[in-house]
Amino acid sequence: MNKLLAASAILASNLAFAGDKVVVYNWSEYIDESVVEQFTEETGIEVEYATFDSNEVMYSKLKLQQGKGYDIVVPSTYYVSKMSREGLLQPIDKSKLSNFGNLNVDLLNKDYDKGNQYSVPYFWGSTAISYDADSIEAGTITSWKDLWNQQWEGKLLLTDDVREVFHMALRINGHSGNTRNPEEIKQAYETLKSLIPNVLVFNSEAPREPFLSGDVSVGMNWNGEVYMAQQEGANLEYVYPTEGAVFWVDSLVIPKGAENVDNAHKFINFLLKADVARANAEYVGYATPNQAAIPLLSDEVRNNPAVFPSQEDINNGEFHHDIGDEASQLMNEYWQKLKTGM
Amino acid sequence: MNFRRLIISVTLAWLTVFVFLPHLLLVGTSVMTPNPDHLVVWPVTLDSFEKVFTPLYFSVFWHSLELAAIATVICLMLAYPFAWILSTFNSRTQALLLFLLILPFWTNSLIRTYAIKILLGKKGLVNATMINLGIIDEPIQLLYTEFAVIFGLVYLLLPFMVLPLYSSFDKMDKSLLEAGRDLGAGTVQRFRHIILPLTMPGIVSGSLIVFLPAMGMFYIADLLGGAKNLLLGNVVKNLFLVARDWPMGAAFSVIMMLMMALMLLLYVQANRLVSRKGGLHDSNL
Repeated sequence: MNKLLAASAILASNLAFAGDKVVVYNWSEYIDESVVEQFTEETGIEVEYATFDSNEVMYSKLKLQQGKGYDIVVPSTYYVSKMSREGLLQPIDKSKLSNFGNLNVDLLNKDYDKGNQYSVPYFWGSTAISYDADSIEAGTITSWKDLWNQQWEGKLLLTDDVREVFHMALRINGHSGNTRNPEEIKQAYETLKSLIPNVLVFNSEAPREPFLSGDVSVGMNWNGEVYMAQQEGANLEYVYPTEGAVFWVDSLVIPKGAENVDNAHKFINFLLKADVARANAEYVGYATPNQAAIPLLSDEVRNNPAVFPSQEDINNGEFHHDIGDEASQLMNEYWQKLKTGM
Repeated sequence: MNFRRLIISVTLAWLTVFVFLPHLLLVGTSVMTPNPDHLVVWPVTLDSFEKVFTPLYFSVFWHSLELAAIATVICLMLAYPFAWILSTFNSRTQALLLFLLILPFWTNSLIRTYAIKILLGKKGLVNATMINLGIIDEPIQLLYTEFAVIFGLVYLLLPFMVLPLYSSFDKMDKSLLEAGRDLGAGTVQRFRHIILPLTMPGIVSGSLIVFLPAMGMFYIADLLGGAKNLLLGNVVKNLFLVARDWPMGAAFSVIMMLMMALMLLLYVQANRLVSRKGGLHDSNL
């Protein structure tokens, strides 16, 4: 709700100025609003801000408008490769990004975008399990498989994200979360079908909220959401399941049809500043790819396993990759069935 | 005369551009072939309509009908006595009460839906009150259930049921009731033979105005029902935005439109029948 009000407030305030602007389309609750205000103060560029809660919806809008309408978008890795392949993105001019060197080189030059031609990492993080430590004993939940336990009937939260939910089932069945094999995907669908009676709610808008309101005590969650809930006083535990958590990277990209390309570069460069990246990371609670910001972080954030996973947990998990149109179409079909309860 | 013509042509142009053409596009889209890259491509096909009637989608369709029907019946049961009582007050009180009924509509429905979330949550007002009154010991799950969806639909759509009913009651000639009583008709008889037939147009139009939108309110099912595909609106939204199968999403919309047309047709027919029998007119709609 806060983000809805905030977004409309930001939009409304922008109607007053029709001047220099940059249009940002980001995941909901994925930026420290004071960072946005600071950018406008320093540069005089107004930020028009809109949010989405799934890669699929973001992609549909961009595809429909042929990459017009937004100056900065924040897709996950597998959508960076898909969108650049389809010509929806424009190359990023790194000569305009004086702070690019702040980034952790381990997160650059990956398969999804060789040489970071189109994308600049924004945050990376994980999807795993969180539970309310006040009502559930430690050690009750250690694996994805534990979510299938009958005691959670009608009680679980799942993220409203087709790739993440399938990733979980694929890992339980001993397959890669990035499989393109139709048989393995079908098997994952069968596995998930038996989980559906346990599902109370799908939420990718702010998965922490049903936890905070007491409606849910166990479910899938994102590390940053758990961190934010902890900041808001909830006693939430974050568990990296034994089958391996889902890891992902979200990147800043500039769509092909962007109208304020210069401002978009300015905004990206601003986000790459070490102190801005620090403020942003301490607010959203995801792991920052900004190496220069890490020494600036408070100890509490830097040492929080929910924010920065251990190397062991990273090795045990798996990063999301592009699985191609065919496999993702198949997953989408099964996803519709699952959400319908079939 | 010129002014009149101007108004009519502006209205016509408006309806053509913003209602007729979009619907034509929708119908056109529904018979195209889906394509992940270009959304829709040739050739023309009826595949999407066939898919709507596969067990998967038909079950959503049916379930959505059920939820919308329950919401409509509840709206009717609440609105009918309310509209009746409303019509018995003097005109100043009526105006005030109608104003109070419409007042919440000045707040965006999305914000009111979030308010319902807070109300129905496990730590929400409803659960807290019931625990304090000793009705329950543990908070019960109200949010993310079908109950919550129906609650939200009834809450948002109730005024649309009240208004046409009120209009029917308001126009009803109260002296007919007195005449009925003088001639010895009991309460039940007066209700069945005078009130019910005279308010039937209000009942039918109120039900139509509630029933069809109820099936489409995807954000109610998303926010209060836990984003499971409960209403037709959710399926259409997901087909367009997530699965990007536009022809099929369009096919669902076309079927909904046809259903609406069919119901209106039935209504007109029924009305004609009633007016031939009892001399009633459709003027109070």
